[in-house]
Amino acid sequence: MKKKKTLPKSPAPPSARIARVAKGKKPQYFSDPAIDKLLSITVSLMEELAVTRDRLDAVERLLARKRIVKASEIDRFEPNARDTEERATRRAAYVSRVLRALHAERDSDAEAVTAVES
Amino acid sequence: MAAFRQHAMLPKLHHDEQARQDFVGALRGHLSGKVMPENYQLYERKVEPEIRRRQGRPPAHESEVREHMLQEPFYQFWSALQRRSQELLWESVIDPTEREWDTLIARARKSRSGRQRGSLRLDPQLEIPRYHRAFDIHLQPGGYHTDFREDDVAAGAIYDRGIHLYMGGALGIENNLMGDTLVAYLREKHPSFAPLRILDMGCAIGNSTVVWARAFPKADVHGIDVGAPVLRYAHARAESLGVPVHFSQQNAEHTDFADGSFDLIVSHIVLHETSKSALPRILAEGRRLLRPGGLMLHLEIPRGRTVMEKFMHNWESYNNNEIFSRYMTEIDLRQQAVKAGFSLRQVQVDEYTPRLSVAQMNYTKDFFWKILAATR
Repeated sequence: MKKKKTLPKSPAPPSARIARVAKGKKPQYFSDPAIDKLLSITVSLMEELAVTRDRLDAVERLLARKRIVKASEIDRFEPNARDTEERATRRAAYVSRVLRALHAERDSDAEAVTAVES
Repeated sequence: MAAFRQHAMLPKLHHDEQARQDFVGALRGHLSGKVMPENYQLYERKVEPEIRRRQGRPPAHESEVREHMLQEPFYQFWSALQRRSQELLWESVIDPTEREWDTLIARARKSRSGRQRGSLRLDPQLEIPRYHRAFDIHLQPGGYHTDFREDDVAAGAIYDRGIHLYMGGALGIENNLMGDTLVAYLREKHPSFAPLRILDMGCAIGNSTVVWARAFPKADVHGIDVGAPVLRYAHARAESLGVPVHFSQQNAEHTDFADGSFDLIVSHIVLHETSKSALPRILAEGRRLLRPGGLMLHLEIPRGRTVMEKFMHNWESYNNNEIFSRYMTEIDLRQQAVKAGFSLRQVQVDEYTPRLSVAQMNYTKDFFWKILAATR
């Protein structure tokens, strides 16, 4: 559907976010909880790599299709100041996403179980 | 993954958002196709013989299987990865929803302001049941009921794309498989039954409700749920699809509809997300709302035949916040319906094989739905 200018909008207050962590007990899968965290981080890394490869693939195909850039030119790319800043911001968001598992703990198992037993 | 039809209330995905969801799909497909089945081999080769040797008999209950399987490194890895895939699934859906949040809310408001085919009635005073408040079902952050801002629809948009990914696209182009299945069951078992008043209990985003409204275009179709954001989304979605449905925010345990209001009452994999005390109340409320001769159909998921299958199905209960579903493994639905006032002759529980194949099975190889059918 095309965005219509007439739609009345009330932009989200800057603090409004959708929760990223579910309420309820997170099970422990391995004898050492550190292993659980490491596995979570590893899978996030898998995801980031998959996304990056897809994106790179899209860019290279587009460039080749339009006969704009050859792969050899990408190897010689030098970012300017703005490129560098934007890349740094994106990199910080990337690190935060991969390490999200470190903070993802909210324990309310007792409440969860009694809620269905009552 | 199977195709999914874009509609006005679904966020359009940017490249990386699509790539994230594609990764989650690939990971879950790999886990269910290549990793999950090895749990059964491990059980047959090692765990079952071990239990037999120790106890002098095969395991009699899924809890005995659980005790041993939880110690197996292979199971631990599969289980931890399956959990992680579920967390990433929601993340991958939440990001684009938040990006298009303003637009989605504006579209939903617009769908309520002009001429409507259906309607939306919310009740801000409704008490959200504890089985929704105490934990987030399926790990969807905020569950079905949380408004993160005014007039929120996020939970609905997240759920719509989320269940599509969860089932590897098997729910169909508009998440229509469950509605289709129950409609097919009705037409097969009760070919002359033509309901004019239909109620869908626990309808969430109305993906199945819309199927019923299309199957019976002369019927007055209602959908109820406790979650306001999913209902706002359901209404906007149905309006955008051009299907008339009346949504209202109500608890299926006690609604404000008059006695005998409906010819047909349905639910689609809702019962196992409730509670011990809610389940009989929902069935009794269903009986109250049916006119004499009316029909109640509840679609439920299988819970396994063998102890190992039961253990695997209960993964959802212990790892994916389907807390009540492990109690459902032992509950006799027929007995529950009788307790709710239906006569034994009028109640049956059928195992129903879907006509459409379900491509991605998480816990077992074969699949059938369980259907509780009761006539007033």
